[in-house]
Amino acid sequence: MGIEAKKFDLKILLMEKEQLKQQLKQQIVQFLNLTDVQPENIKDDEPLFGEGLGLDSIDSIELIVLLSREYGITIEDPKEGRKILVDINTMANYILAHQTQ
Amino acid sequence: MYIHQYSCISPQQTFDNIDLVSLHESVDNKLTAREPVYKDIPRNILRRMGKAVRMGIGAAMPVFLKQPVLNGIIIGTANGGMEDCIKFLNQVIDYDEGLLTPGNFVQSTPNAIAAQMGLMHKNKGYNITHVHRGLAFENALLDALMITRENAGGFFLLGGVEEISTYNFNIDLLDGCFKQETISNKALYSANTPGTIAGEGAAMFLVSGSPRDAVAVMKGVQTLHSTNEPEIKSIVQQFIENHLPPGERVDLLITGENGDSRILKYYHSVESLFDTHTTIARFKHLCGDYATASSIALWLACSRLPLPPHMIKRRGRQTNCRNIAIYNNFRGSQHSVMLVGLL
Repeated sequence: MGIEAKKFDLKILLMEKEQLKQQLKQQIVQFLNLTDVQPENIKDDEPLFGEGLGLDSIDSIELIVLLSREYGITIEDPKEGRKILVDINTMANYILAHQTQ
Repeated sequence: MYIHQYSCISPQQTFDNIDLVSLHESVDNKLTAREPVYKDIPRNILRRMGKAVRMGIGAAMPVFLKQPVLNGIIIGTANGGMEDCIKFLNQVIDYDEGLLTPGNFVQSTPNAIAAQMGLMHKNKGYNITHVHRGLAFENALLDALMITRENAGGFFLLGGVEEISTYNFNIDLLDGCFKQETISNKALYSANTPGTIAGEGAAMFLVSGSPRDAVAVMKGVQTLHSTNEPEIKSIVQQFIENHLPPGERVDLLITGENGDSRILKYYHSVESLFDTHTTIARFKHLCGDYATASSIALWLACSRLPLPPHMIKRRGRQTNCRNIAIYNNFRGSQHSVMLVGLL
């Protein structure tokens, strides 16, 4: 594969990741009924829990279900969940690496 | 039992800036509640609440603020958060009994309303939900009457809550409970056809066994399952005679007439017990018909608001309103009568 082709693949991957992040933001707002949050106002590196979006433990279950239903990803180890559900970037990276559907 | 505080969320402007004169109209035979902003409910909790829970807690907040220490919470609701219940059941099917989110399930049980109130108010006292269909509120009321007799110094939150759910509306429509033709609530009593219009709302009361700072006294409540017109008339008459102080009369009768031509006879029968002294008023065009609608009638009685002309069926000769009777009937078979004394 030539340098031009590799660049092209990288561009598609970046586009996919960007689209995925936007989709994730919309799904989080919808699944968690965040009526006073606009998806476009969620920053990619904004913490989901505590400060930032201010989600709580019940929301973490909703996010695990979201990943399962929408992306076919099952998180069985809670320690693993803590690393994935940090912000939009970590969720998107994990989905791209493990997506099955 | 004495009533100290009352609050109501309904399809009309009853929560803040109360206005019963301007009548908000029904849409597609449904009168949906005019919900306030709920500024006293934390956003993270509010976003998970179904409508019934939201309305119930929203209506209870003024009571919580007035009375920080409560001995218990007693709620009547026939269906609770049915909309969330159906969402949860649909998920069971849609996701093939797979991974389910807890939110809709937690919010959907009828006792979620009283439970959420207990959690928010940090109240570990008596917490119960009565679910006896069209007599759910009346049974909560009976419970409150008994518990305030046992604990004269204790304060209790008493309430009735119901929401319109798409599922229940469609089932009840097929069952003939709602009108086939679309009508406005402004024409509810002149329709003369079977069925009524759907409604929803929440009414909350702070009650105790002590008359101090009370606005009203609940003199009694009676429930009855019957379709026998003479029996119903006789029991209502007996109830009034037993609970009305000697020499006093019923000044206002509030009935749950709901525009259903099939059950109008029961209302006519009860109305015939009262002579021209008594004013007769109706309220279902304000809130629609639902299982715990009688709680709205009790709120109306406690609020002492001047009754607008659209509520008056017959203007009586009474000049001073002291004793108010409420007669309600749910789907022709569940009847209740209450007697309230204004203080």
